[in-house]
Amino acid sequence: MSDPNSQDIDLQVEAGAKFHRGSALSIFTTDRREDFVALVFALLIALGVYLFV
Amino acid sequence: MVYTKRSPALLIMGILFLLIGISVQFGLQSGLIKYLSIDKHMTEMLSVSYTAATAGILVGLWNLFGTHKEGHLDYYLSTVGGVVFILLIAMGIRWYLDPWVAVLSKAMGPVMADKYLHDVLGLNYVVLGIIAGIITVNLFKIPAWAENGVRLSRLGLKTGVILLGTLYSLAELAHLGQLSVVLIGFFVLGSVGLVLWMGQRRHISNSMGGVLSAGMGVCGVSATVAASPVVNAKSAEIAYTIGTILLWGVGCMFLFPIVGHIFHMGPVQFGAWAGTGILNSAQVAGAALAFQPNGIETLKVAEIFNITRVLFLPIIVLWLAVWYVRREAGAEQVNAGRVIFEKFPMFVVGFIMLFALSSTGLFAPANHYQGQYFDNNIKAEKLLSEKDVGLLKGEAAKVQRNDQNEALQRLMDNRKVMGIDDDDTLRGLVNAKTLGKEANDILKKAHKAVRHTAKKIAAFRDWITVLFAFGLTGLGMQITMSSIRQAGGQPLVIGGVVGTLKAVLSLLVILLFVRETI
Repeated sequence: MSDPNSQDIDLQVEAGAKFHRGSALSIFTTDRREDFVALVFALLIALGVYLFV
Repeated sequence: MVYTKRSPALLIMGILFLLIGISVQFGLQSGLIKYLSIDKHMTEMLSVSYTAATAGILVGLWNLFGTHKEGHLDYYLSTVGGVVFILLIAMGIRWYLDPWVAVLSKAMGPVMADKYLHDVLGLNYVVLGIIAGIITVNLFKIPAWAENGVRLSRLGLKTGVILLGTLYSLAELAHLGQLSVVLIGFFVLGSVGLVLWMGQRRHISNSMGGVLSAGMGVCGVSATVAASPVVNAKSAEIAYTIGTILLWGVGCMFLFPIVGHIFHMGPVQFGAWAGTGILNSAQVAGAALAFQPNGIETLKVAEIFNITRVLFLPIIVLWLAVWYVRREAGAEQVNAGRVIFEKFPMFVVGFIMLFALSSTGLFAPANHYQGQYFDNNIKAEKLLSEKDVGLLKGEAAKVQRNDQNEALQRLMDNRKVMGIDDDDTLRGLVNAKTLGKEANDILKKAHKAVRHTAKKIAAFRDWITVLFAFGLTGLGMQITMSSIRQAGGQPLVIGGVVGTLKAVLSLLVILLFVRETI
């Protein structure tokens, strides 16, 4: 289960231990990791747009 | 635990997307496309359909016939079902349901000034997507094979927010920045102070008051999470705060666009109001897109205000740390600097990073403004005709403001707009409807001649639209009745009072002091 301080606490309680990784609102173990993945995706999209558009 | 559910659903959805793509490409939907006026979506329909079809069919076949073992491959590929499921709903709404609602609404005629019912109620792909998500999760439940993918919707929203940075340039932010910093500073600090004061008066715990003040003041859920260790908030208090914020935000998301249309607010005014008055980043985007579904100007202004609000987070966290330590003599000492470092939302850093790249001129000329840039080295046929100039001269006496008069004079002398400031001033003149329709059309033509759209920025806009449509439909699938019920009690009362005060006061300030410049 995720960090009890995660923002998904309300749904975690409802969902119980439904996901052994991440939380009810995210597949990532922490919000920080989700932010980094979003950053990587955004940079890849930006690179694609820069090179091919 | 193995997450992949053996189901034909993903394969079927992949085939559906393939059929949509093929039928659009070979003109089988041309009658429908014409009836719904969705030819502007055709490129998007092809690219999204074929991408989703490829992912859906390949992973769908693997789901059905592959062997699945616990591990990273199983965990991450099991999200594809949910992603394609959300995309099918979100894109189905964006491409077909939303345009159909618009057709029906237009058939009924205008209901408020020149606005149609769907404009006034904000019924567009964003709102319809969220409603579809709420209905799906509360009436039908999320299918087991889609559950893991629904948890990616927030990632889509965050990626979209980061990409929004490409749409801004330094010149533009400097223009809006001062306004946003002053407005946001006043309302963020005021809201935090008011919640702390009310919390004390209504005898809620310091930790509850602290976490609620950060949520109501700064940026909703992220701020709640960031502030919770600073004030030693309990899990139930975090849940209550998030429930309050989400409930308030859902109401705002539907109400704000209606109020915005009633007051005839423009993109800058509404964006500033939504970015100030609504708490959750996703809901700010939802309201802005609901207000202006066919453009991104409102969303951009709202996001600038939203991001400015997030940038206040370190100050609020520091304030709460000092406040809490003082209020609770025996409270465990918290390292505020470390909390800020650990909890500050990194997607905001990403937004700033792409904004910096965009300001260097990487994606469009460095002075671009909302993806458009000014260049008045135009061909002779783009200049205003003598007839146009004559018509403008005939109406020039109606213009009372000096800056507008001077800009108009320069336009008539040179038959083209002479600078960015003149262009902004003349657009303000158009919005003010001081001149007649023909004269306004000439001003719009002069504006179009000197404003050029950067292709790369247009591509970013498309990406952002799809990411937000996906993310907000998924967000709807996470709003359960029980999470809304959790908002009851004192936090809801305090949150409602502070949220309403902030929304009403910021509306008044914006209507009085924010001039429409777009």
